[in-house]
Amino acid sequence: MQQRPNRIGKRPKVAPPADFVEREDGFYLYLDMPGVEKEKLLLDIESEKLTVSAKSDFGLKSGERVHSMEFGEVEYSAKFELSELVDKQRVSAKLTNGVLTIYLPKREEIPPKRISIEIL
Amino acid sequence: MVINYGSFYDFPHLFDKMMNDLHDPQPTIRRGATFPPLYISEDDTAVYVRALIPGAEMDDVELILEDNTLVLRGELHPVQGKYHQQIRPTGSFQRLIKVNVPIHKDGITATMKNGLLFVQLPKATAVQPQTIHIEPR
Repeated sequence: MQQRPNRIGKRPKVAPPADFVEREDGFYLYLDMPGVEKEKLLLDIESEKLTVSAKSDFGLKSGERVHSMEFGEVEYSAKFELSELVDKQRVSAKLTNGVLTIYLPKREEIPPKRISIEIL
Repeated sequence: MVINYGSFYDFPHLFDKMMNDLHDPQPTIRRGATFPPLYISEDDTAVYVRALIPGAEMDDVELILEDNTLVLRGELHPVQGKYHQQIRPTGSFQRLIKVNVPIHKDGITATMKNGLLFVQLPKATAVQPQTIHIEPR
């Protein structure tokens, strides 16, 4: 009947639930990653790919008798393909209340240059 | 087999659930049906309730202890903007946790960190195990 946290094997890899929202100034990606410390979060952008990974820490101790276990320690892992519209140089992220917010600003469009035609 | 008569002993309910699962071999996805997910445990001195509520501020969550039931309720708000994909739950939620041991009510502590709510319910001293010293004659 009783489960103890130290009996859990390797922590499973899970994709955090993600919301993708567009606003005037760009795109926002919200990832539910409870139990993650800012220092333990890895966020990488490589060419067109954005990867996020982190290990949770819920402070589950082995001395406790467990009655209901609806979650356990996990390893969050997510991968996203960035659109050409995103300005990769200005991507920023913050972690508050267990939610990782990634701001993906839109690339500022260069106005088309008009070429004047000279009549010879 | 050792039968667990612990504080959360709830065998009839578990049995019903098992029978229902047999009737429904392909269970509909229950994701989000019980939110927030809980982790309930105890040791000799206290009952611990952990809940994952990412995105919730302190003011969004309410904790009430009524008789022997801990009520956890609150609301998660959607963000402004145009949603292209929405998987994270929003809206109001409530979970009831029945605690069948006397609780020392003034000693309850609840903390929120990184989207994890951690509630410590210390057991009343009367139910804590006490070692009785046997004196030799």
